[in-house]
Amino acid sequence: MTTPAMEIDAVDIGFGPPGQRTEVLSDINLKVEKNEFVAIIGFSGSGKSTLMNLLAGIQPASSGEVRMNGTPVREPGPELGILFQNYSLLPWLSVYGNIDLAVKQVFPAKTAAERKDYIQRYIDMVSLSGSEWKKPSELSGGMRQRLSLARTLSMQPEVLLLDEPLSALDALTRANLQDEIIRIWEEDRRTVIMITNDVDEAVLMADRIIALTPGPKATLGKSFPVTLDRPRDRTTLNFNPEFIALRNEVTKYMIGINEEAKKLRVSADLPLPGLMPIDFNSHDRKPRVAQTSDLIAPGSQQVPEVEERELVGAADE
Amino acid sequence: MSEQTRIEKIKYGLLKTIDVSGFKVFDPVVRLIFGEEPQKQVKDITRFMLMPIVFVCCCLVAWNFIAPRHKTKSGEVPTPAQVWNALTINDTLYDRENEKESDFALSDDQREAKIEEVKTLIETKESESTKLKEELATIEASAKQKKAEALAPLQAEYSELKTTHKEARAKRKIEAESLAEAVTKKKATTEELLTFLRDSSRLKEDEKEKEQIIKDQIAEINNEKPKSLQAAQMASDSAATEVQHLKKRLDYLSSGNRSLKVAKAKDSASSALTELESAKSPAEILAAANTVVKNEERASKIAKQEYPRASTIWFQMWRSLFTVFIGFVLAAVVAIPIGIMCGLNRVAMACLTPIISIFKPVSPVVWLLIFQIVVGAFFPNPETHPFFVFLNSLPIIGRLNANPALIFSACTVAMCALWPALVNTALGVSSVEKDHMNVAKVLRLGLWSRLTKIIIPSSLPLMFAGLRISLGVGWMVLIAAEALSSSEGLGKFVWDEYQNGSSLTFSNILLACFVIGIIGFILDRIMIVLQRAVSFDDGAATV
Repeated sequence: MTTPAMEIDAVDIGFGPPGQRTEVLSDINLKVEKNEFVAIIGFSGSGKSTLMNLLAGIQPASSGEVRMNGTPVREPGPELGILFQNYSLLPWLSVYGNIDLAVKQVFPAKTAAERKDYIQRYIDMVSLSGSEWKKPSELSGGMRQRLSLARTLSMQPEVLLLDEPLSALDALTRANLQDEIIRIWEEDRRTVIMITNDVDEAVLMADRIIALTPGPKATLGKSFPVTLDRPRDRTTLNFNPEFIALRNEVTKYMIGINEEAKKLRVSADLPLPGLMPIDFNSHDRKPRVAQTSDLIAPGSQQVPEVEERELVGAADE
Repeated sequence: MSEQTRIEKIKYGLLKTIDVSGFKVFDPVVRLIFGEEPQKQVKDITRFMLMPIVFVCCCLVAWNFIAPRHKTKSGEVPTPAQVWNALTINDTLYDRENEKESDFALSDDQREAKIEEVKTLIETKESESTKLKEELATIEASAKQKKAEALAPLQAEYSELKTTHKEARAKRKIEAESLAEAVTKKKATTEELLTFLRDSSRLKEDEKEKEQIIKDQIAEINNEKPKSLQAAQMASDSAATEVQHLKKRLDYLSSGNRSLKVAKAKDSASSALTELESAKSPAEILAAANTVVKNEERASKIAKQEYPRASTIWFQMWRSLFTVFIGFVLAAVVAIPIGIMCGLNRVAMACLTPIISIFKPVSPVVWLLIFQIVVGAFFPNPETHPFFVFLNSLPIIGRLNANPALIFSACTVAMCALWPALVNTALGVSSVEKDHMNVAKVLRLGLWSRLTKIIIPSSLPLMFAGLRISLGVGWMVLIAAEALSSSEGLGKFVWDEYQNGSSLTFSNILLACFVIGIIGFILDRIMIVLQRAVSFDDGAATV
């Protein structure tokens, strides 16, 4: 058996001092094969970004280990190319300068002329030609993410980590960039792990979809292989029964685990205050006096705040 | 079409320049010139340009109205016109210094020509001056006469009042005496005598008061100086000083001239040389040889001499600017590295926090005294100290006559300007966005590249915001430091004026107030432009 390109082995991550510790991720196990495109899908607030930072080596594991090609990941580096959700571009550098910074650092042996051609290639690859000397503040959101992608790719990472790369973009730009990423990936295959909250996106792009259960103590749930043929065409895909079935299956599963999580947390629900309907006909409406029932029940304090849960694609049902 | 875009380009270039320099007020003017929404621009111009101008004019009018009505020990508060007058006077003083300086350095034909020129000038000016003096005399005489006319009735009234009061007092004295006699004869009670005396004392007070009123009126008329007399006096005075100045110039062109002085020294050297040749006894030879050498030395020394300029307001201004620049650079050089260190390392921050907290609120006056003692120890002999010799040999800076007082003032400025820059730099460095640091981590940048590629560029806007505050603080501190250390500069200008107490004192102080304010404003603008230039967030940190 070959060593997986990326492997997470029984990782737990928690924050806070002992006693008040919040377990964000627990018992995460994942194996990603070389050149595989894996999408991890989860609700917002379930620890997706923590998982991504763990993979990138930015966030150390409380226990367990992350391995790349069998060697443990202890610190971030250019071989683990991460594409941040909020671009992380340096605003005082131009498009060229942002990529140049990375290229200079990762490939110090390149001569100036080589570097110039190299950078230009990546700028062309993400269709930013003509904007070389613009500052990030002069670019649109989509263009910024393209630039961020070009910078990450220019480091020639072994594993590409996409941390909700498209969630800050509008639907049209998003579709556009999805196609772009797929195109680039197909030209130059490498291992990709993408985190997303969009079922459609996951089904469209990935080879395998893995669910992340809602936190706290989020862990990886069921895995769905995507067997659709590549290249996948988004216009025809919408009528493809296999695509529809898979999408529905994933969505149903996600909603299911969310319900489950809610049921588990039923004791944590805030007790509703006993409010009588206001009698709109009586004129002496007194201001409501706070009652003991307004207070949060003791014991529910330890429960982290109830996060807004959303799942793009669930609305299709 | 291309013409259109070219104009647009110019327009937006102009607008951008205005925006960056912080003169947003002129934005509508530019837009109006290019014909963009004229109605809106006119409205904006009225609201944000005309209204402020009108307001400032109102303030000037109020100043003009209130100032002469407030009498102080050093005369009336000067009006705007008087301050303006002080400006022109100070400006001429500066020009005259320039003239004398160039005269001093002239030689040969140029000098001869200049002498002729100045001589004719003196002739015309002198005749003008005598004419003005005559005019002044007539005006003075008429004013005197007028005053005497105005005073005559008052004085008559005063003496009349005095005599009547004297008589009344004598009468009351006699009455009191008779009343006292009556008391001894039991014809009147002591009570009656007391009441009488009380009344008479009250009457005396009243009389005195009446006299005082007239006295005051007389004094007022005596002090009064008609406007025409004042103007004539001023004109005559300025003409006289002009003549004096021209005579002084003549002196610098003739006997006081550098080239003449050199020639004189050389002459005596050569005459001593002939003496040396004809000398017989060893003592004579030695004496003559000594004279030769001394005169030669003198000639070469004089040849290098510069005109000893009197300090004028513009000279003081340049010197102040130089001092604040040195202090500011010193502050930046110390504050930025320490600030970066504090921002990077929390232990360093913790170590420096007590020092910063304790020394930040210390008054500049205390710093000045400390620096005078501590830094003064480095310059026991400032005239020959290599540092000052070097500074004063530099082309432009040399003219500012750097001395230890300048260094003390600069150090005081640096000490007080240090803190805002330091604190802001530390804040800027410690608040570098986490995303940017993640980029550095992913790229595995070393400490140096991390500093130069990520941390410093990202904290530059805050750094410059701190430097801007520093420069403002430094400029304020400098004026006080100069006044106290009597280092030539605007602070000393103010202080000297206060100590001198001439008729121009008050106007000059107000003038200095405006000069200091305007320069402070310009320095701040320069810093804003720099800050905008390094801001990648389009100057959001400004304001």
